[in-house]
Parts: sequence; structure tokens; C-alpha cells
Amino acid sequence: MTQPTDTGRSPFDDLPGDLMIWVLIVSELLVFGAGLAAFLGVRLTDPAGFAAAQDHLHRAAAGVNTLVLVTSGWLAALGAQAVAAGRVARSRALLTAAAGLGVVFVAVKWAEYAGKAAQGIGVETHPFFTFYYLITGFHAAHVAAGIVVLVLVAIRARPREVEAGTAFWHMVDLVWVLVFPVIYLLR
Amino acid sequence: MAQVTKAWILLLALSGASTALSVAVMRGMLTGTAATLGGVAILTLAWAKARTILNAYLRLDEAPAFRRGFGLTLALYALLLLALYLAG
Repeated sequence: MTQPTDTGRSPFDDLPGDLMIWVLIVSELLVFGAGLAAFLGVRLTDPAGFAAAQDHLHRAAAGVNTLVLVTSGWLAALGAQAVAAGRVARSRALLTAAAGLGVVFVAVKWAEYAGKAAQGIGVETHPFFTFYYLITGFHAAHVAAGIVVLVLVAIRARPREVEAGTAFWHMVDLVWVLVFPVIYLLR
Repeated sequence: MAQVTKAWILLLALSGASTALSVAVMRGMLTGTAATLGGVAILTLAWAKARTILNAYLRLDEAPAFRRGFGLTLALYALLLLALYLAG
């Protein structure tokens, strides 16, 4: 357990936000981190097959989604600053906008999956696509959950809740900036 | 300008750079060793983006000890991804 320092403060008191949200962030990063490392590990067994499979992905759409998500993260961070400064209405507007961009991300991802389905590409088409659907699908589920969290904290609009909710959203953002290059860009 | 806004602009620039590198590789503008170095650069940019989100969006800049811990772990993980990429 956390040991207090001589001043009675725990080292974890320095962490921005609740300790539990950081436990969640670290555990999520470990799961996605393991998935991406496994993806690159399996890629070693069939680099040509992975490159050919990757050519079926829509890199431009994923690139747009990257811009959408980092912009959403920016709005969420501004929303957290606003509620901490007592500007509740501004915070609600920023958090709602952040959630709206999350909806855009999911819509683009949905269109991407629909395109794959139309090409007859499924989970079992190639190991590349097994990882692709597993990792990006799990991430998209986190985006959907994050949208709900952002809406809920926008309604309550209290600094502690907004801090925790936006931290979850930034974790989703952080995971994507690692997923995007590894799955979509690396040759 | 707020730190998160500077971070956002940096993230847009880094994302644009990694996409441009990928396009250059796809279009055959980078081949052989240059293409591999392009992949190394893409992973380096991803590491820089992850650090920016941790430090600015998640505010680890306000907790230097945790920033160093997360930074070291992230760097080691990026090196693992880099090694797996180069091994292919």
C-alpha cells in the first residue's frame, strides 16, 4: 500500500487526478501494449502476407481519425481546465464537442469495417486481420465507452469527475497514437 | 497560449509527418534502407506523440517523478516495438 512520507503526504498525491484512474490507465496500456507487440511478433512469421493485408486498409481514413481524436483530446483537456476554473457552461460545451468528435471517430471506424465486410474480409481472412479487428475493435469499444463517460461528466460538471473522465479519454487517445502507426503505417 | 493547445498543435504536426512518411513509402519514394528508416521515423514520431499526451493532456508535467517513470517505461516499450519492426 501507499507509504506516507515524513510530511504525511503519499508520493501518489503528486499524480494528477485519482490514483484509481491511473491504475485503469496503466492496465489498459499493458493490454494494448501486449497486443501491439504480439502483432509485430506474429508479423515476423509472414512479413509479405502482413504487407499485402495492410494494403486493404484505408490509411487516409485512419489518418483523419487520428486528427479527430487528438483534437477531441485537446477539447477535453480544455474542458477539464474550464470546470476547474469554475466555468461550468464552457466546460460542458467543450466536453460535448469532445464527445461529438468521438462519435465522428466511431462513424469513420464503422465505415472502415463495412468496407472490409463488403470485400469479404473477416477475422479469419489472415492473421493480420485477426489482430486488426481485435485491437482496433477493442479500441473502438473504449472510444464508445469514453463518449458515454464524457457525456456523463459534462452533465455533472464537477472538477473531480471531469478530471477522471477526461483522463480516461486521454488514455484512449494515447492508445490510438500507438495503434495507428503499428497497424496502418509500418511496412 | 495554453500548454494543451501547444501540445495539440504538436500532435497535429507529428501525425501529419508520420502520414507523409507512410505515403512516401507507399508511393515508392522511399525504398530499401530509406523505407526502413522511414519506419523507424514513424515509430519515433509515435513515441513522441505518446509522450506529449502523457505530459500535457494527462498532466504528468506536474508530477516529475511519475513523468520520468512513465517516460522510461514508454521509451523501453518503443525500443521493443522498434526491435520487432527491424527484425522483420
